[in-house]
Amino acid sequence: MNKKFWLIASLLLIASIALSACGTTPEAATPEATKAPEVTQVSEATVAPTLAPGAPLPRNETLYFNGQQWGPVVCWNPYSSSCNNALGIAQQDNARVVMFETPYLYNMLDGQVYPLLADGDYAWNDAHTEITFKIKAAAKWSDGTPVTAEDVAYTWATHVKYSTPTGSANMDYIDAIEAVDPQTVVIKAKLDEDGKAINPLIVASYVSSNYVIQKAWTQTLEERTGGDATELLADTAEDVVYSGPYYKFFADEAKVVFIRDDNYWGKDASMWGKLPVPKYLAHAMFKDNAAGFTALQAGEVDVSQQFNANIQDLWLKDNLPISTYLPDAPYGIGASLPTAFYNLQSPGLDQVAVRKAIAIAVDYDTIIANAMTNQSATFQQVPRSLMNPTPGEQALYDHDAVNDLQWAGKDIEGANKLLDDAGITDSDGDGWREYNGEKLSYVATCPNGWSDWQAAIEVVAAAGKEIGIEITTNYPEWAVYQTVVTKSDAPLPEGYDIFMMWSDGAGPTQPWSRIRHLLSSEFVGMASNWNGNWGQYSNPDVDELIKEIPGETDEARLKEIYTELVKIYLTDIPSFTLMYRPQSFHAVNESVWTNFPHEDDGTEPPVPPLDLTDGWSIAGLYNLTLVAE
Amino acid sequence: MKHTIRQIFRSGKFVVGFSIFVTILLIVIVYPLIITGEPLGIIGQGTFFPPGIYVSVYDSIGSPSYTLFLDDAAAKRIASKLSNDDRLAMKDWLIADGVPENQIDITDTEKLLDLWEKEYDPDKGLPGMTFAKQRYYQRLNDSLEGLLSTEAAIIAAKNAETGVLEETGVVKQSDYVNVGEVASVRVLPFGTDNFGRDVLTELVAATGVSLQIGLVAGLIATLIGLTLGLLAGYVGGLMDDVIVFITNLFLVIPTFVLLILISFSIGQEQRGPFVIAVVIGFTAWPWTARAVRAQVISLRNRDHVNLSKLSGHSIAHIILTDILPYIASYVIMALILQISLGILQEAALSILGLGPKTTEDPTLGLMMQWAMIYQAHILGKWWAYFPPLLTIALITFSMNLMNTGLDQVFNPALRD
Repeated sequence: MNKKFWLIASLLLIASIALSACGTTPEAATPEATKAPEVTQVSEATVAPTLAPGAPLPRNETLYFNGQQWGPVVCWNPYSSSCNNALGIAQQDNARVVMFETPYLYNMLDGQVYPLLADGDYAWNDAHTEITFKIKAAAKWSDGTPVTAEDVAYTWATHVKYSTPTGSANMDYIDAIEAVDPQTVVIKAKLDEDGKAINPLIVASYVSSNYVIQKAWTQTLEERTGGDATELLADTAEDVVYSGPYYKFFADEAKVVFIRDDNYWGKDASMWGKLPVPKYLAHAMFKDNAAGFTALQAGEVDVSQQFNANIQDLWLKDNLPISTYLPDAPYGIGASLPTAFYNLQSPGLDQVAVRKAIAIAVDYDTIIANAMTNQSATFQQVPRSLMNPTPGEQALYDHDAVNDLQWAGKDIEGANKLLDDAGITDSDGDGWREYNGEKLSYVATCPNGWSDWQAAIEVVAAAGKEIGIEITTNYPEWAVYQTVVTKSDAPLPEGYDIFMMWSDGAGPTQPWSRIRHLLSSEFVGMASNWNGNWGQYSNPDVDELIKEIPGETDEARLKEIYTELVKIYLTDIPSFTLMYRPQSFHAVNESVWTNFPHEDDGTEPPVPPLDLTDGWSIAGLYNLTLVAE
Repeated sequence: MKHTIRQIFRSGKFVVGFSIFVTILLIVIVYPLIITGEPLGIIGQGTFFPPGIYVSVYDSIGSPSYTLFLDDAAAKRIASKLSNDDRLAMKDWLIADGVPENQIDITDTEKLLDLWEKEYDPDKGLPGMTFAKQRYYQRLNDSLEGLLSTEAAIIAAKNAETGVLEETGVVKQSDYVNVGEVASVRVLPFGTDNFGRDVLTELVAATGVSLQIGLVAGLIATLIGLTLGLLAGYVGGLMDDVIVFITNLFLVIPTFVLLILISFSIGQEQRGPFVIAVVIGFTAWPWTARAVRAQVISLRNRDHVNLSKLSGHSIAHIILTDILPYIASYVIMALILQISLGILQEAALSILGLGPKTTEDPTLGLMMQWAMIYQAHILGKWWAYFPPLLTIALITFSMNLMNTGLDQVFNPALRD
């Protein structure tokens, strides 16, 4: 009896092990990564035409991503901004054009836009109130019908009719988008009292940041949802018609996979002249950065869009075929300026001397070396201003004119002198300075768990001690933090004296939009302010200058305005930049694919390091080749 | 009393545990007296400097130099820049570039470098070579610059007035400095962490704080457990029912879940080490209460207790003089376990990001949390996470050893 029992038990055990082993096979797709180069010979030509969704993807036809998609995809609806479909839908300055397409593609490296669905450059009329552009004759929808001007017009009409996020963001600046004939689109700007466009910059940026969606499909969608805005935005749109080179292959909780549409119109000679190289684009949902990092290390990820601390160790120490856009620090192109804002209503922080003293005492080199592990340009390399480090923006202001206002940081002596001269001294001998008899004591804060920001805030706080200003740190949860910081219709509460937020990256409306978001007083008083100027700075001169930029076409005058703004920014110091951060992190593993964009790679126009999905960087998908061993 | 203590110290397990614990305690007390300086001070610009002795380059130039002729100096210098793998890689490149294999001798450094200098072109990408590899060759090429040079290096300083570089010194290849004579040398036995802090200094401070957390948590838990256990066990009746009911209620809810919920709800601002300790203490008492109650029930009908009752002593008096001394040894053991539990709970909470407020006081758990956030475990930066891990293990191990030792002495069932 006993023996029999054990026999049966062990048989059961074996059976269950065997079963569980079978169960895990579909997930075994990725470990093939390391041996992929051997099979290059048989690639491309022999492609299994039909692959069951969920089956292991052929490694040498698949480009794997990380750092973009963190949870399961909710929908495929290009009208909605809550689809959590990171690889598929992102209407932004550098729009993600994998599945849906914009008329133009923005290239952050040269600041130009290049036609995609559009044919040739767009043109302003003489009064600078209307933009006209043509649609490529070759452009087709996935159902084979041509993309027409009518589609562009109807997309806009739908955005307005249903007040989609895109609609509300542009409604104040775009009056109408009309189809003159099937190929010609006219965008009419909203005009002010003087008959000038309110904001030509935003009007122009529409063509490179918003998708064109098919009219026929939109009508189907409207019919299905009965004209209800909420339902329209909530529709999962599994049947959506698209114009891009990839479409949904399958998506579940663990992975989302796009497959190439071999009938993609872009293979026409008027656009790319060929298909993008990888047949599949895949993105596994990683638990966190550490998991994504391990996958990149193992060659299971080709393109990494996440912050990988000490990335250089991967090639210097581990000898892995991993590289970044630039060979040395900062490894990428900085595009946005993570910024520490002052609460200008905190006692003492209304004094420029105090703001400046803290700002010049902070040790920025340590922030960049420790918090960003050197993945940011230093302020010696790119002096502070309102511009990001791209050459295009740097050329927009006069560096020499603001030279005297610059600071390198860690200037304890200077900060102390500044405070002493302003009469802000330690009068009661407790080691901390007082202003109006009140001890200068502040809380520096950022959201909990945002490790690089937290590390930066620690360095800011450390500077306080050196100059007799008490700065303690505190890290509320993001849920709390964001509601407090974005409430601009009342003074910020205690505990938010110095706080970190982002600023705009690279885009067709930059640096104007970034400057507006950093300095414009129009956001003060908003109950829910996701735009900027969270420290509630207000300066009528600045507002005037910001208003002047979009309509200004004279470059000399523009440079004058930008220089003036930088001057005011560095004098008033309502906030200060702590580091430069790339638009997207971009590291690639060349175990399987190679010929990724990198500095001086000879591409013309240069392909920006935006993960081969955003704006002009999608051009990189056409240049990839398999690693030949 | 003397006899008991002598008995305890005769237990080998207790002695081992006790000495480990006392050593840790001594280090915590003595270390800050020797190495002064902010435990959380950021000294390194950069993350995760490896353990070692850091010698000021600037100061070593100014230190007295000694001339040593060491045969292997040049070989070592070359080997540090040009490993065997590098030589093989150079050979690969040269072959791919069209140099006949028999012309390449990778053992002869001079010849190899000559050939390399002649043939290598950093801008030339060989067919099929990945970009990462191309950059590897560029880096290698840069590092080979002047590798075989026998010339001295020249130290120059900028003239403050003219801005022209002026020679101020020469460093020959046979020049050596005595580390003991360099003005500024810093030993970092455990390197630095992600903030650029000295891990050892931080570790010692963190151990102190963690021990305090454990002590406070343990005292609170034991005190609550003891009080409730004594009352329930001795008074009995309705009070027993109520206390047992509450205790069971707490036992049913997993302590750690409770801990997470409480820590989360009090928010980061309020979470100092002391608050965390109190929270841990208030969630860890139930099993002490149960065990004490069981002991007291077995005691309460003993003759001396009944005698005391008959003499008209108050409940408090009976509990304190007739019951407590009999379970004192047990309570001490429970306290020791609660302390080690407190330290572990703090670490567990911190790893989840629910530990004490960061960066005002270091704790062992927080050190591990930051090491994890900056992926030290993946990047192989063992010095950032292993020392705190080991310290936690040592503390709890020593306490458990002491506990087992005590058990052997006091538990009649185990006594030999």
